[in-house]
Amino acid sequence: MESKFWNTYFNYYTISVDILLIIGIYFFLKLPKKQKANSLYWLPLLILGFSVCYEAIGAYLNYNYEFKKAANAFLGNTENPSYNIWLYNISNKQITTILYLFLIRCFLEPSKKKYIDWMIPLFFLISLSLQLTGIEPLYLNQPFIGAMAANMILIGCGLYFIGMITNDHYLESKPLKLISFWQTTFLLFSYSLIYINSVARIYIYGISKEIAINMAHIDRVFGISIRLMLVIIILSPFLPKVFDSDPIYELK
Amino acid sequence: MNPTEDQIYVIIFATLFLGGIMSTFVISMVFIHRQRQTQNRQKMDQVKSEHEKTLLNIENEIQQETLTHIGRELHDNIGQLLSLAKLNFGSIKPEKQAEGKEILAQAIQEVRGLSKQLNLDWVESISINEFISQQLERIHATGFCETSLAADFELIDLPKDQKLVLIRVIQESLNNAIKHASPDQIKIRIYENGKGKQILIKDDGKGFDASQESTGSGMFNLKKRMETIGGGFNLTSAVGKGTEITLTLPN
Repeated sequence: MESKFWNTYFNYYTISVDILLIIGIYFFLKLPKKQKANSLYWLPLLILGFSVCYEAIGAYLNYNYEFKKAANAFLGNTENPSYNIWLYNISNKQITTILYLFLIRCFLEPSKKKYIDWMIPLFFLISLSLQLTGIEPLYLNQPFIGAMAANMILIGCGLYFIGMITNDHYLESKPLKLISFWQTTFLLFSYSLIYINSVARIYIYGISKEIAINMAHIDRVFGISIRLMLVIIILSPFLPKVFDSDPIYELK
Repeated sequence: MNPTEDQIYVIIFATLFLGGIMSTFVISMVFIHRQRQTQNRQKMDQVKSEHEKTLLNIENEIQQETLTHIGRELHDNIGQLLSLAKLNFGSIKPEKQAEGKEILAQAIQEVRGLSKQLNLDWVESISINEFISQQLERIHATGFCETSLAADFELIDLPKDQKLVLIRVIQESLNNAIKHASPDQIKIRIYENGKGKQILIKDDGKGFDASQESTGSGMFNLKKRMETIGGGFNLTSAVGKGTEITLTLPN
């Protein structure tokens, strides 16, 4: 594996995500015990760690073609054994979406958490049934599941914003000083733009392969910025002048 | 410009449009938040000023009640004692003079007791149980009706504003019972249930049809006052069956 693997693995995106994970771990370890046990802080670290893991698996699959071919064949894809899309679908589109829904759930007022509690199993079950029935196989592009993931994140963000303008505790706070506000805003932007970008890219791929490949950088830049926000969540207790405590957590 | 370029521009435009919509959404949310925050603050200020106004009214009413009580005491009690002392001092008998001194000492003690009631400092030093007990003793002393107090616990360490409101509401409830119900007995119970700490004021007087809207604002004011301190006021009554008032204390 050595140099070929590292050549495949190391690019600006994976290096950035790795650095962000290291910073995240460092500051997470410096958090007080009580905050370490709080899902608002360990969930971002989990998402960061998960991103690094699946990026490494992706790089390994690109390095070990035989293994990738076998994995694709196992999933029923013998036509395009060089595709890595199944990993992207399962990790980035499905598991990461569920993890982000859990993160949004942390920011919501108690009365609105139930909507996310319904959305998570619904998303899981619909995705699973679409894949098992072969409507959207795991090894091909999954437009419906992608749209559902983006919409659920948008609904979650919408619930947060509704809470922000109706909940008395949020009304007493300054939204621009809340880490939950910035994280939700970033998720709202990145998920919808990544979604529109992924839809457009499939179309553009047919017209110009070069432009489509360049468009993938948009995903990467957004991916880095979302992960940067996750690190800022972990960092937020160390920046009391910049960020206020989240009112929902104050309530707890 | 070829068709491919056109399509790419359409995609770029659509993306920018979507981004614009989301930016507008987030910015409007922040603006709505600010607007509601201002409204909320105004509402809170209004509630606070109403609360202060209610407390001030209550303080005035308690002072008024105290002054009436002092006036009555001066006329009926201290005035009588001083007249009696004057009569005794007018006598040449030494035992009468001594009796006069004793009466004078009693009058001085009564005046001291009354002077303490002139400001509201007594509110802080007295517990609600003590206050109720004093009020019931006073009613009983007049021979108006029998009274009793049963308390499961002592209501101490209440904030001054809550105490003021409770004192006034209890005072007014007892006044109403005496004025309008002509009861044979007034019972007060202090207890705790699932709703929290409660004070039950019960009389076996004439009662009234509680379902009919009252023309006066007395009951409404008592209810409103209990609500200003986060408590509750509940009245049940029926003609010939007496009246029950339940005051729920704030948590």
